[in-house]
Amino acid sequence: MDRNQLVKWLKAPAKMGHKYSLHVVYFCTGCGIIEIPPTITSRWDAERFGVIPVATPRQANIFLITGYVSVKTLKAVIKTYEQIPEPKFAVGFGSCPINGGMYWDSYNTIKHLDKYIPIDGWIAGCMPRPEAIFIAVTHLWTLIDKDMAEGYKKYRRNYKDYRANQEKALGKLEWPPLFSINKDKDD
Amino acid sequence: MVVKIIQIILYPLMALMIGIFFLGLARKIMARIQWRYGPPLIQPIIDMIKLFNQNSVSHGFMFNFGIIFSLVGSVIVVLFLPFGGICPLSSSGGLLVILYIMLFAPLGVALSGGEGANPNISIGISRKLILALGYEVPFLLAILAVMTHYETISIVEVVKIQQNAGWAIFSLPLFLSGIAYLMILPAILGLRPFDMASAPQEISSGPMAEYSGKFLALMSIEHAFGLFIGIALFVNLFLGGASNALIFFFKMLAVFTALICVNAVYPRFRIEQALKYLWKWPTLLAFTGLVIVSVIGR
Repeated sequence: MDRNQLVKWLKAPAKMGHKYSLHVVYFCTGCGIIEIPPTITSRWDAERFGVIPVATPRQANIFLITGYVSVKTLKAVIKTYEQIPEPKFAVGFGSCPINGGMYWDSYNTIKHLDKYIPIDGWIAGCMPRPEAIFIAVTHLWTLIDKDMAEGYKKYRRNYKDYRANQEKALGKLEWPPLFSINKDKDD
Repeated sequence: MVVKIIQIILYPLMALMIGIFFLGLARKIMARIQWRYGPPLIQPIIDMIKLFNQNSVSHGFMFNFGIIFSLVGSVIVVLFLPFGGICPLSSSGGLLVILYIMLFAPLGVALSGGEGANPNISIGISRKLILALGYEVPFLLAILAVMTHYETISIVEVVKIQQNAGWAIFSLPLFLSGIAYLMILPAILGLRPFDMASAPQEISSGPMAEYSGKFLALMSIEHAFGLFIGIALFVNLFLGGASNALIFFFKMLAVFTALICVNAVYPRFRIEQALKYLWKWPTLLAFTGLVIVSVIGR
């Protein structure tokens, strides 16, 4: 852990801040949330990595979707993701957000979550153990270090396509677009 | 004169450092009580660096102004509080000024949060103001007892008398008032069992619900100042102040550690339970203390 390296702090304080202060908003969509209480309490203690749960998306910078996403939940997922201030990271937890998991032929769940919001990393498994969350956190640190955890920029860049996908799944959306749609491809 | 100007600039910064240190220490002590390793001591600073580099959403002029208002109020109160030998504005004002300006901080938060137009914020602010209504009564009674006993409204004088006559909390007439102040101190600082105003599990951290990025960082700075003010006032009035800054800091540290131990083990009151408690035992003790001071203490 390089939290104590002064040179890195002086060189890029913002990046180090984003690395070591991950405020998580947990989206309890499915059974995955049962792995979160042992992760943040005494048994595995996520707070030593600077990972703490917060109550509202405004205060968060990492979004953890734990479990399957039904069509109705997708609306809330998108709204929550858009409320988190940039830079933000989204992580899918369990196999259901990746490709539907055991709900692969369900008529009412979303199979590929990354069609609707950009996901920076996946934690595979059904269920993943709490240790897997810590491995994900260290992977996220590496990604932030190499400037690769840039899902929010991807969302901004390809907002037109994401919005089209969202409208395909949900019908007409009742909230206005987050960014202007006509602006094409430039940041 | 030059020394005074340097003090006025540096003293709030030092108060802020101490407040942030307390925030980090609180998380570490809580973690150790719960048998966890806990975050590093500098975690609040890391959080603040992150928050200042994050985007933020403003909800209008009052939203920005309220935070600045409460921060300015806190800084002014800090300047009036003696910290060991340091007190830049000791000659002007006293306890009465502190009592007036201490209201700025919660009012500013209320103004700012009201602009956020989130129902959770409204609930949080109403709880905070009701709680303030609860602890102001014993707080004023206890401070009135101190002013009556020492026959002065200057907080520097109170500290000076205690240097010779011993700590107020162990002297006979002010014993009950000191106990009453200690009982309401968690309510003033917003620690458990009185943290219903910012309950993350019930009302999404109440007044803080709409703050993001640098606004949230300013709110944590305001919280750090609040911790400093509440504890420093108690140390000055009842624990005898101190002749140098180091002893004063250790007294504050001892009080804060005790409060955090209470914070770690007690669950949260409901707001009406808190009001019932605050208006019963601390008020009774503070009132008895005031009667003893004004009748027998002479």
